[in-house]
Order: sequence, then structure tokens, then C-alpha cells
Amino acid sequence: GWPRSGGTRGRTAMDLFGDLRRMNKRQLYYQVLNFAMIVSSALMIWKGLIVVTGSESPIVVVLSGSMEPAFHRGDLLFLTNFHDDPIRAGEIVVFKVEGRDIPIVHRVIKVHEKGNGNIKFLTKGDNNEVDDRGLYKEGQNWLEKKDVVGRARGFLPYVGMVTIIMNDYPKFKYALLAVMGAYVLLKRES
Amino acid sequence: MAAKSGRNGLLDKWKIDDKPVKIDKWDGSAVKNSLDDSAKKVLLEKYKYVENFRLIDGRLIICTISCLFAIVALIWDYLHPFPESKPVLAFCVVSYPLQILSQLYQKEKSIFLVAHRKDPAGMDPDDIWQLSSSLKRFDDKYTLKLTFISGKTKQQREAEFTKSIAKFFDNNGTLVMEAYEPEVSKLHDSLALERKTK
Repeated sequence: GWPRSGGTRGRTAMDLFGDLRRMNKRQLYYQVLNFAMIVSSALMIWKGLIVVTGSESPIVVVLSGSMEPAFHRGDLLFLTNFHDDPIRAGEIVVFKVEGRDIPIVHRVIKVHEKGNGNIKFLTKGDNNEVDDRGLYKEGQNWLEKKDVVGRARGFLPYVGMVTIIMNDYPKFKYALLAVMGAYVLLKRES
Repeated sequence: MAAKSGRNGLLDKWKIDDKPVKIDKWDGSAVKNSLDDSAKKVLLEKYKYVENFRLIDGRLIICTISCLFAIVALIWDYLHPFPESKPVLAFCVVSYPLQILSQLYQKEKSIFLVAHRKDPAGMDPDDIWQLSSSLKRFDDKYTLKLTFISGKTKQQREAEFTKSIAKFFDNNGTLVMEAYEPEVSKLHDSLALERKTK
């Protein structure tokens, strides 16, 4: 017969609990700590990116087709937001409208600049018929520097689709996170 | 004897310390963990040494502090949104990898047990026994190294063996203590013997 008897490659749920049952208090705490370390590392990498790029959201996903053919829905953009970067007509910026969470990626089409560096600018999506005044707050006609989240310095096509799918199907996102979390908590590292 | 209370009974069922160790024989890390655990058991139960948790506690504390830094960064950033939180964030972000690095440096040595042998007369400082092991990915050769540090002379001696894991596990993935325990004891006795002849 075949030499492999008994257990197959896959671990059953009882195997995973078998590891846990053999652990003492310290090892159990280490399992929890391991999980916390992974979460903390992800958090620190994200915060680190925020500090280094100066942008509150250094990686964004393009959600609509309003900037085609430059950017498509699902593209991933890498942003920086350095204080001294000038804003000029023709540049692409990512901004947030006051009161709304979702950043918008459009092109600057008009700029008014005062001597002291204050700027008012107007944006429009390349693929849109009209400018963005309809998107701004009630009574707001111009954007200012404080509304800028950053400018795109690099991009990856299609990669952002994963985020879009996870947002459209939140159950999938929670299921995936739950499975990953359970795996880290139960599997013992050497 | 009266029956145990319900809670104790459940706890006893949960702990399977005394049952033979059974793991997935193809899972390299499970194999190494069970060999390490059993070697620990031999030293602690057969020779009655006392485990010193300082190394492990040190690692746990460093990791916990790292997580605390991350939590502080998270809360601070929430209360004082970026960019006001920049200095605090920068501090936490820079110190986090430093802590991870210090922890990795410790883990390099792969020591998984530090145990003391208390001098029965109570006069001399304790002897220290350290166990470390290695098992390469997808390899079957397990190396167990035992280090003895004399409490009196502070001299260090070590002994190790490298054997295929097939010698210690049966076909079902159960660790055969009758095959493993003598190997560990032999390692221990070879170091203990040198001590006596000096």
C-alpha cells in the first residue's frame, strides 16, 4: 500500500486545538501577542507612510471612471503631500470635500494665487462634462490647500479592485479577516 | 475521594500534558515544537530542574511594549488628527522596528529552555542548563544542543546530537518517548559526567 497512512497534509480543527491545549500560560499569552504584533505592524507601517508622505491617506483607490483614460476604476495611487508643493493648473490632485469621507482624484483646471501663497483652485474630472462645483459643499466654489490629500506620484493598475470588492461585499471582508485572525491565534510558531 | 468540581474537571480535560504527543508528521514546525517540548519535559521532570523564565519574559515584555506604542500612536492620532500628531507618530513608528530588531536578535540563538539546578546544599550558585535546537525547512535532521554553565566555575560546556526525526516519530505522527528520552538523557549525562570527574 501507499506509505502515507493516518493523517493527510491538511490540519483538522482538533489538531490546531491540540497545539493550544499543550500550551502553558506564557505560550498562550504569546499566541495572543503574536496576533497583536501583526496588527500593530500593519498599523505602524500605515502610520509610517502617513508621516513620510505627509498625506493623511498615502494610498488611495480610484473609484470611478471620471479620470479615464489616465486612471481607471480599480487603480491604486501612491500619494505625497509635501507642504511646499505648488498647485498648478493641469496637475492631478486628490482632495476631500468638507464633510465627505471619500477622496476624489481630479485635475486642477483653474488656480487663483495670492502673493502670500494662499490658493483657490477649481477641479474637473477628465472624463466629466462639467467641473466639480456640483461636488463641493453648498455655497463653495473653490478648493483650498487644506482640502488636498495629496498628489499622485505613482500608480498600480487593477490592484485596487480587491479593495472595491471588499467594500461592496463587506461579509467577504469580515469572513476573510476572521479566518486570517483565527489562523494566527491558533497556529503555534516555533 | 469526592468528585472534582465541574470547572476543575473541564480544565483537566482541556490539558493534555500527559497524553502522548501526536502531530502532523509532515508539518515541520509542529515536529520541531513537539521535540523541543519533550526535551524540556525530560530536563524539568526527570532531572527536576527549575525553568528560568527570564529570557522568555523579556521577549514577551518587549513585544507587549511594542504593541503599547502602536496603541498609543493609534489613540493619539485619533484624538489629534494628522498633521498635529506628526511628532508622536514619528516617534512611535521609529521605535517600533527597533524593538522588533532587538527581539529578533535574541531569537537568533533559538534557545528555548533555560533551567537551573539548585545546589542541594544551598551554598553554591545554581548551575544553568540551556537547550537550543534547529530543524531546517523540509529537512528531517533535527539538532538538539545542550549547554551547561557551571555555577561555581562559570565554565561553559556543550553537547549536541543531530538525528533524523524519523527515529523518534512513528507512522501516525506520535512521538515515541522511549526512543527520544534516552537520547536527551545521554546528552545530559555526558555533560554531567564531565563535571563529576573534574
